[in-house]
Amino acid sequence: MAAEYILEMKNITKKYGENTVLSDVSLKIRPGEIHALLGENGAGKSTLMNVLFGMPVIHATGGFGGEVLLDGQKTMIASPHDAMTRGIGMVHQEFMLLPGFSITENIKLNREITRPNVVSRVLGKSLETLDMHAMSHDARSALDSVGMSIDEYTRVHGLPVGYMQFVEIAREIDKTGVKLLVFDEPTAVLTESEATQLISVMKDIASKGIAIIFITHRLDEVMAAANAITILRDGKLAAVRQIEETSLVDLAELMIGRKGEGVVSVASRPAPHGKVAMRVKDLVVDMPGEEVKGVSFDVFEGEILGIGGLAGQGKIGIPNGVMSLYPNEGTIELFGETLKLGNAGDALRSGIAMVSEDRKGVGLLLDQSIEDNIVFNAMQIKGEYLMKFGPFTNKNDAAIRAVALRMIKELDIRCFGPTQHAGTLSGGNQQKVCIARALAMNPKFLFVSEPTRGIDIGAKRLVLETLVKLNRERGMTIVMVSSELQELRSISDRIAIVSEGKLVDILDPNASDADFGLAMSGIKPGEHKQKGEN
Amino acid sequence: MTKKKSRKIIAVVLAILAAAAIVLGAMNLPQRTGDKGNAIIDALRIRTLLNATGDGVVESYVAIAKKEATAKVKAEGGGMSAIREAVKKAEEETRAQYSNSTTDYSKLDTTALAAAVTDYAALLESYDAIALKAENAYIEENMAAAQAAAKAEREKKIAAGEEVGEETEVSVDMSGFVATAEMTAAKEKADAQYAAVGEALKGIYPVLDDSALATLKDTIEKIVYTRGDDFTVKYDRYMAAGSGEALDDKMSGFMVRYADDLIYAGVGLIVAALVFLFSELLIAKLGIPRVIIGVFFILLCFMCLLYDLSLPTLLSNTLVRMGMNSIMVLAMVPGIQCGISLNLGLPIGLVCGLIGGLMTIELNIPGALGFMFAIIVGGALAAGAGWLYAQLLNRLKGEEMGVTTYVGFSIVSLMCIAWLVLPFRSLKLRWPLGTGLRNTIGLDSSNFAHILDDFWAFKIGSFEVPTGLLLFMLACCGLVWLFSRSKTGVAMQAVGNNPRFAEATGIDVDKMRIIGTVLSTVLGAVGILVYSQSYGFMQLYTAPRQMGFIAASAILIGGASTSRCKISHVLVGTFLFQGVLTLGMPVANVLVPGSTISETLRILISNGIILYALTKSGGGSRG
Repeated sequence: MAAEYILEMKNITKKYGENTVLSDVSLKIRPGEIHALLGENGAGKSTLMNVLFGMPVIHATGGFGGEVLLDGQKTMIASPHDAMTRGIGMVHQEFMLLPGFSITENIKLNREITRPNVVSRVLGKSLETLDMHAMSHDARSALDSVGMSIDEYTRVHGLPVGYMQFVEIAREIDKTGVKLLVFDEPTAVLTESEATQLISVMKDIASKGIAIIFITHRLDEVMAAANAITILRDGKLAAVRQIEETSLVDLAELMIGRKGEGVVSVASRPAPHGKVAMRVKDLVVDMPGEEVKGVSFDVFEGEILGIGGLAGQGKIGIPNGVMSLYPNEGTIELFGETLKLGNAGDALRSGIAMVSEDRKGVGLLLDQSIEDNIVFNAMQIKGEYLMKFGPFTNKNDAAIRAVALRMIKELDIRCFGPTQHAGTLSGGNQQKVCIARALAMNPKFLFVSEPTRGIDIGAKRLVLETLVKLNRERGMTIVMVSSELQELRSISDRIAIVSEGKLVDILDPNASDADFGLAMSGIKPGEHKQKGEN
Repeated sequence: MTKKKSRKIIAVVLAILAAAAIVLGAMNLPQRTGDKGNAIIDALRIRTLLNATGDGVVESYVAIAKKEATAKVKAEGGGMSAIREAVKKAEEETRAQYSNSTTDYSKLDTTALAAAVTDYAALLESYDAIALKAENAYIEENMAAAQAAAKAEREKKIAAGEEVGEETEVSVDMSGFVATAEMTAAKEKADAQYAAVGEALKGIYPVLDDSALATLKDTIEKIVYTRGDDFTVKYDRYMAAGSGEALDDKMSGFMVRYADDLIYAGVGLIVAALVFLFSELLIAKLGIPRVIIGVFFILLCFMCLLYDLSLPTLLSNTLVRMGMNSIMVLAMVPGIQCGISLNLGLPIGLVCGLIGGLMTIELNIPGALGFMFAIIVGGALAAGAGWLYAQLLNRLKGEEMGVTTYVGFSIVSLMCIAWLVLPFRSLKLRWPLGTGLRNTIGLDSSNFAHILDDFWAFKIGSFEVPTGLLLFMLACCGLVWLFSRSKTGVAMQAVGNNPRFAEATGIDVDKMRIIGTVLSTVLGAVGILVYSQSYGFMQLYTAPRQMGFIAASAILIGGASTSRCKISHVLVGTFLFQGVLTLGMPVANVLVPGSTISETLRILISNGIILYALTKSGGGSRG
């Protein structure tokens, strides 16, 4: 008798060193079921899937706690290959296809159907002739089952992105004995109609008895496709729901949840609503992985505007686009003056400073001293901290040292001294050096992008408090981009939520979890409510 | 904890050994000119003398025996063959008899001989002093003429198109030298004393006759005194002659002879103890590569001392070679700073510099003016070439190592053709037949040979300081240092350090890379000119091919990485690289004597260092 569940993961716990990323998580999937796995970035979805596929990263870091049951049998999945032979397939987010091969060849890769020939009889099986006819026949039926009419001999190179996704799915379906398929954000790159088609294909597959784990952040798709939903939050199981007993708002609320107290508590105040400091219109930014597809918003003078959203949705693209670090389009007005796009230097000269999310890549000169890092922008953009001799210039060591010491004291940068190399500092202190460099410019407008990423709680608090202090005491207008909603809510006056490169809504920090959850999955909370009322 | 403790114990043991060695050496060193040293030398000298004359004595006996045998056979009326046989037999017998019977030296009374020999040595020495003075006077008198002759010869060769080397030191032909009256008088006195020595020897070996003494004269004279004698030379000479047994206390003789080496060993042990004690600190401060090569360099210094190689001369050479190579190494700095990594395309700059140098000779601009002209022309060409090169590098970002290497090789090969077709006319530059430039072009005093080396140069003993060269080196380093502190320099370093960071600050990354590449190429042009003026040659064709690697290795050894460097890395690296190379070869030649291994070794050592340096291209820890 077949077990009730095709896959059962019981009490899975996984630690990376001291850091617990999964604690006591269970997942149960019935045959022929579409089971959605929901969660914010870092909720533990990928780690859970890594455990399921026996990825080397899991075994290399000390394995995991709990047990995995396949068809009711306790199983130890040793490697991704092992997972494949046990009938677990994965449709990857990044396509794993060979562009120069035809669709058939891609589908049958490494599982080719072969016929013995003269040579192979002598030299072994690896030299057998490919049975292209049989292969294309199999490929055809796999393609048909995903609803693709495209010729199976077409080369993958040049196919539309959506098609590649379907080829990938067809390949998984073609594997004999596949019992469970994992779709990792399959609709992220698809158009709306393709997504609809995909969902119907998924349902089709499920009706043949193959279970599907559907990882996504689009709540409406979950509602449309899934039979059951497991929601993870902060590495813990937040809830398991059947589709009948839940709603979009319920899911959104479960996904966000209150994560304890805010890191810092700030006295609430009426949000400034006077002069516009920056007006962004139709900003398009071509930042790989964080494309912005036309956003418009105003930032008021003296406010802290938070920008939130899930990873890869384009929130990071906004500051990078305003600073012209990536190819951009649109119009940006700063205090009424139009900002010239295309050169980061112009943005800096006009009085905007930015603390980059990519500290090590963009934010710091790791091989240079703290003091050189701090004064770099002021020196290059404003010509400060230099002694001039006609056309020749020389660093003004005394002035540089003075400002560095002041910053180290003010921001509490823990270091041996201003000449220590930035690369040897801890993440939090590196972040403070980045902030110090922005401050050395005396900016009127400050962008901070993911200021608390990868730094410890103490440093986090200090960074956030510093931002508040700058805002309150110096009246600096600040735009903070962060993946941590709680952080945004604790210090922002307003929070803009970005999804799929577009601004969904600007919310009050005290708006409900459900509103944030909906906005993050691209649904404007106001509209949804209206729809509900209608 | 225990590791630290054991390290301390070992260091203390080493220090104690060192102290012992130094004390022993210091005690024995003054003895060389003291009574003990004299006694040792006297004893050895007499024994050597007796041994030498002893051989003469045997020959005398043999002669007598031969004569007797001949007479005997003749008297018996034997034929020629019988005589020959008898003579042979007599010789063998006599030789066997006397050679085997070891003389019992202790029974010989050598007091008279010793006195005579001491006086004889003094007389010979005073004669030699007079002779030396006279010879020097003669050389001084004839030097100018000899130099003029050599120059004329050289020019004749150039005109005839023969290969001419660097100007060698002119030597005066001594064949016209006539002994002065003073010399003759001193010589006579010495000869008279030799008669006294001969008498004393006859007292010991009665068989010696005057003719035997006359044949022995040269030998004895050489034993007693040779020009340039001092304690160690004499000691070695007598020991080599196998007279060691004459010493009652062999140990003390050894101690006196090797007193200086004992002191060296002691100092070496102290250095070893210090390095050992502070190894962690040193490695942390300098990085392992510099500690290893530094220790190797110090080791070579001590080996030079132990093998009695002239350390001051070698160190002076090191200094010269450091100076002549330093600008080329300095050329790596802007390259690394602007992010093109090691500029292995340095040969571009080098050939530009060479062209500048060739123009100077072609136009016959002498001296300092010519050198300046060469630098300006070479620098201008290098700036142009560097700009083009930078365009290439900007289009091939991320592949700099490969591209620079390839460009470096290509330009050398391309210039091999160019050297053949460039329209230079000067006979100093061209082959006399056909077209093309010579392989090596000797610079001489009419061009800019040694123009920097000899500027304000001075000597301390045999340590020569090439002041001008060092000043020029420091000036160039200073300029590059100042540039690296300017606004542009700071921006350029940011580009090299983190191009995305620089871009985020609105810095034109490509422009900064162009500036760095051009600077590097121009420094390369200046560098080869400095190198050539010191070396005395300009080398064309394939010679510049390796120089980029040598410069790159030097700066890596100095502690730079492919993305980070300081001026101090240039100075330290060049000194260590050239120091090891300069000291390594003579030491290796002593260790493996009488071979033609030096060229092989040169290649081995220099390429070995390059290889080692490139393995360290990740650089030391951030300091």
